[in-house]
Amino acid sequence: MSAQRQANAVTATAPDKASGSPPERAPPAWPYWLTWLALLALQALNLGSAYLPLGPFNLVINVGISIVKTLLVMTIFMHLARSSAVMRIAAVAGFFFLAVLLGLSLGDYLTRPT
Amino acid sequence: MAADSTPAIVASHFSDADNQETAATLGMWIFLATEVLFFGVLFAGYAVTRLIHPEAFGNGGRHTDVLLGSINTAILLTSSLTMGLAVRASSVGWRRSSVTWLTLSAILGVAFLVIKGYEWYHESLEGLLPGPGFDYSGPDVPGVELFFFLYFTMTGAHAVHLSIGILVVASVAVLAARDKFSADYHTPVVLTGLYWHFIDVVWIFLYPLFYLVSRS
Repeated sequence: MSAQRQANAVTATAPDKASGSPPERAPPAWPYWLTWLALLALQALNLGSAYLPLGPFNLVINVGISIVKTLLVMTIFMHLARSSAVMRIAAVAGFFFLAVLLGLSLGDYLTRPT
Repeated sequence: MAADSTPAIVASHFSDADNQETAATLGMWIFLATEVLFFGVLFAGYAVTRLIHPEAFGNGGRHTDVLLGSINTAILLTSSLTMGLAVRASSVGWRRSSVTWLTLSAILGVAFLVIKGYEWYHESLEGLLPGPGFDYSGPDVPGVELFFFLYFTMTGAHAVHLSIGILVVASVAVLAARDKFSADYHTPVVLTGLYWHFIDVVWIFLYPLFYLVSRS
C-alpha cells in the first residue's frame, strides 16, 4: 500500500519536475514579497523616527514598530496565520512569561522612591 | 530524478506524515518558547539597566554604527524572505528552487556575520569592549560599560544562534540538493525556517535598542 502511495506521488510530481512549471497546489508567493516590503518600510520608519526629537516616545515608537514587525514575521513567515490553535498557544507561551518577567521587574524598579 | 524522491518515513506512533510533521512543528515552537525566555532575561536586564543609567545608554548608543546596523537589519529581513520562499518551494517539492533559496539564506546570514564582526573589531579597537581595557571618557563610565556589556553579550548570543542557523541551513540545503525531501516529506526545511525566523525576530528588537538610542 505504501508502494502504491509512493508510485502515486512520483507520477504526481514527475511532470512538474520535468517541465519546471509550478503545480497548481503551490501557495502564492506574493504574501512573502509583500511582507518583506512591509518589513523594510517599517525598518525605514524605525530609523527615521529615531532622528526626530520625541523624548520618551522615541523608545515607545521603536518598540511598537518592532512588535508589529514581529507579528508580521510570526503570522506570515512562520505560518501562524494558518496554524492550529495548539501551535499558536505554544508560540504565545514564551511571550506571555516574558511579559510576566518584564512586568514584575519594571513594576519594582519603576515604583522605587528615588 | 523524481523516482529518487524520498517518501515520508512515518514512525509507528504517528497515524500519517501530516500528523508527524504537526508534532515536530509543535516541538519546535516549544523550543522557541524557551529561546524567547533565554533572550528575554537579557532584554529584562537591558530594561532595568537602562532605567538606572538612561544618559549612559544614550551616550553609549551614539557609539554604535547605525549605518552598518541598518544594513544588517535589511540583510536579515531579506534572509527571512528567502527562507520563507525556500519553505514554500520545498512544501510543493520544487527541489532546485528550494536549494537556491536555502543557499541564498545562508549566504545572507554569512554576510550579516561578516559585517557584525567588522563592527565588533572596530569597537574593540576604540576601547569599547568591557573589561580591563575599557577606555571611555565622559559622564557615568560604569553605565556606559554596562551598555557595552549588554551590547556585546546580546549581539554575541544572537550571532551564536545565527552561526548555528547557517550550519543547519547549509546542511538542509545539501540534503535538499540530494533530493532527500519531497512534497510528502520536508519537515526539516519547515523546522529550519522557524528557527531562522526566530533569529530574525530577536534582531528586530536588538536593532532599535542598541543602534537607535538617543539619535535625535
